[in-house]
Amino acid sequence: MSNRLVQRASGTTCRLLAGVFVVGVAVVACQQEPGPKQGLPVPTVHVAGWTGATASFAPNDPPGEWRSQARDYANTRYSPLTQITPANVAQLKMAWTFSDGAQFGHEGAPLVVANTMYVVSPYPDIAYALDLTKPGAPIKWSFAPNPAPIAIGKACCDAVLRGWAIADGNLIYNLLDDHTVAVDLKTGKQVWRTKLDNPETGATMTMSAAVFGDKVFVGNSGGELGVRGWLAALDPKTGKQIWRAYSAGPDDQVKIGADFTPYYSWMKGKDLGVSTWPTGMWKTAGGASWGWVSFDPDLDLIYYGTSNPSPRVPAQRPGLNLWSAAIFARDATTGMAKWAFQFTPHDQWDYDGVNENVLISIPWHGQMRKALVQFNRNGFAYTLDRQTGQVLVAAPFGNLNWATGIDMTTGQPIVNPAMQPKPGIMLKNACPTDIGVKDWQPSAFSPRTGLLYTPVMNVCMDVTDHVQSYIAGTPYDGMDMQRHAGPGGNWGAFIAWDPVNGRKIWSIPEQFMVFSGALATASDLVFYGTVDGWFRAADARTGKVLWSQKLGSGISSPPMTYTGPDGRQYVAVYAGVGGAAMTEAKQAGFPPRGNTLYVFSIGGAGISGGAGMMTTNAGGAASQLDSGHNGRN
Amino acid sequence: MTPCALCRGCLALALLFAAVECGRPTGHAGGDVIGGPAGPAAAMPTGDLSGVPQSETGALVVNPLAGRPAAVARGKALFVQMNCAGCHGYDLGGAMGPNLTDRYWRYGGTPGAIYQSIADGRPQGMPAWRKALPPSDIWSLVSYVQSYGGTTAPDDYQAGQQGDVAALPVTPSGVSPSPTPAPTATGQLAHP
Repeated sequence: MSNRLVQRASGTTCRLLAGVFVVGVAVVACQQEPGPKQGLPVPTVHVAGWTGATASFAPNDPPGEWRSQARDYANTRYSPLTQITPANVAQLKMAWTFSDGAQFGHEGAPLVVANTMYVVSPYPDIAYALDLTKPGAPIKWSFAPNPAPIAIGKACCDAVLRGWAIADGNLIYNLLDDHTVAVDLKTGKQVWRTKLDNPETGATMTMSAAVFGDKVFVGNSGGELGVRGWLAALDPKTGKQIWRAYSAGPDDQVKIGADFTPYYSWMKGKDLGVSTWPTGMWKTAGGASWGWVSFDPDLDLIYYGTSNPSPRVPAQRPGLNLWSAAIFARDATTGMAKWAFQFTPHDQWDYDGVNENVLISIPWHGQMRKALVQFNRNGFAYTLDRQTGQVLVAAPFGNLNWATGIDMTTGQPIVNPAMQPKPGIMLKNACPTDIGVKDWQPSAFSPRTGLLYTPVMNVCMDVTDHVQSYIAGTPYDGMDMQRHAGPGGNWGAFIAWDPVNGRKIWSIPEQFMVFSGALATASDLVFYGTVDGWFRAADARTGKVLWSQKLGSGISSPPMTYTGPDGRQYVAVYAGVGGAAMTEAKQAGFPPRGNTLYVFSIGGAGISGGAGMMTTNAGGAASQLDSGHNGRN
Repeated sequence: MTPCALCRGCLALALLFAAVECGRPTGHAGGDVIGGPAGPAAAMPTGDLSGVPQSETGALVVNPLAGRPAAVARGKALFVQMNCAGCHGYDLGGAMGPNLTDRYWRYGGTPGAIYQSIADGRPQGMPAWRKALPPSDIWSLVSYVQSYGGTTAPDDYQAGQQGDVAALPVTPSGVSPSPTPAPTATGQLAHP
């Protein structure tokens, strides 16, 4: 095995060769483990090697802070912190906790700026500023925006919120009822609130606002309810809309103009957002934008994906259904599309294209190429040229049977004709199911290994389509599904992925889905959590699990790390299972809902506990949804 | 005229009678008034009645189409056509919206309460269907939900109010622990 490793690494530098050697040793050590230790899963190790992939970490925030959901424009979720290491991670213990009381799925990561932590609950979307300099991390302020409850029942996949952003002294986030709000970081008072859509049409807003430069980017949810997807840029100072681009409709509404140059010819033509649909159906096309946005400041391009087409019954919408299940590269300033790529033309299985796009550079035919990686719901991991939209690599990263591969001349999947759902006929064992081999839960990238680390789901479905009528404010859906685990019986896994060669490096099988997202650190640790509530740290090079802790609920939000005012490195994650993770809720062992943020440090040390700690330093009281308990600010 | 159309015509007539009949106090349970333009279910209180420790109001409304195979079949078709299944699941087991097959009912599980939920909607996103569907269709949907057995019999209204039915076993095919009283001549009131 080590010979093969060295062969693969030939042509790389001596430093890399040394690294490979270390990995080889670690692999051997891992395989010599007699079996599960303390109930830890045994990783399946295939091969390890360096890829040469790198990334920009702009805006290069202070190492101890975590100012945006993915920490950087490139969406790497990589922290330069190194206090917690493979050698001491087994000593991680809880330092403090915070519960927000909200019972829907928790899908965002805390932000830390200037010794203050900012978190926002899922519906009712209450924001909290926690003072990290004081024992107990008391509430500095909290803000209850009181969104309309009607939106709860319009959210396809739980009344969630996937994150929040900071810009110009404000905390900026979306409300489930289609508003974006800005709250003053110091006072907790509302600065602006902008209405962007109408929940009575089935539209909700669940994505994390993303701030790049002088703009806030937000989009809608509701691909299951026949909304027409859009992404908008707002002014962070005023909330005023600067531009809005739809995912279907005439070119002027999609913001496609003369500069639009998709790599593949089948995406070229006038008003394809109209003509690739039956008459008029673009008005209820889906293609919502509820995932993540990345930004390349040098190209001034943003990258984001669009959801499934509506209705989910393909028989009702013959055609490519552009621009659903696609990625757009847009000029951040004007919103005009530079290129697009539809991952799943005429999507028949609900394979949204909304997953995060991690911007990296890879060695390609002797040169470094600006690329991006998306682990698509459809089960293929794509490495695209992010300047042109060309598919460089496309390989399955989990179990699928709906396609046999990708035609590299067109970028289109080669669909398995036996796995196409038809109305009124049950199609057995189509893989993956609607939530994909991976859903929105974001991956991480480490420049030290050149690998991406990503949660994976191993779920298949028996599906019967039912023809749908469009009725505003109700599901425009039609997929009648029974989901079950795929081959092996494990619902999930956590894997390391080589984005240059399109191959899995190692895999940690998990009995339950991994719905947490990932965190990578400069000490070669990766963190993730499972739907049944295990929070784990693994060796980024070998996939060996080095630490696990069972939390009070399942984990469906990404972990993050920061340095406290005491100089210690902390790791934080919410335990509050919900969202699409609830598709596994009938499994034995599925945990109850929860709403607790757990913060860990080596030995549990910190300023929030210990001998002689008798009082907390009380700050503000928690805001409540309504004024019933005098908690409202 | 198809049987279904005939059925709908009869029901419309029945509802007309009901609206007339229900315009006056029944003298039951503290003088509750049952009635209103959209049929008797509309006058059910959504909470407990103030000043009346043991209101029987919710027990007064029965489904005139309960247990009728044609109504259950109609309700089943509507459940898919009106996109109910998209929220509550094709097996009614719940998804975006609540499970309709268990004994737990956020807004009441009697036929009248379920009628009201469908006709008037509920605050957390359940749309109001009174403009889109005639009362006979709404009662047919109630019949379909009742056929799964988790609903509350009108006579168990009080037990439902006080938390005494949530733990009862589900009895499919609409056979509830307490037999549902037969519809009266007007088809609406179990205790006229």
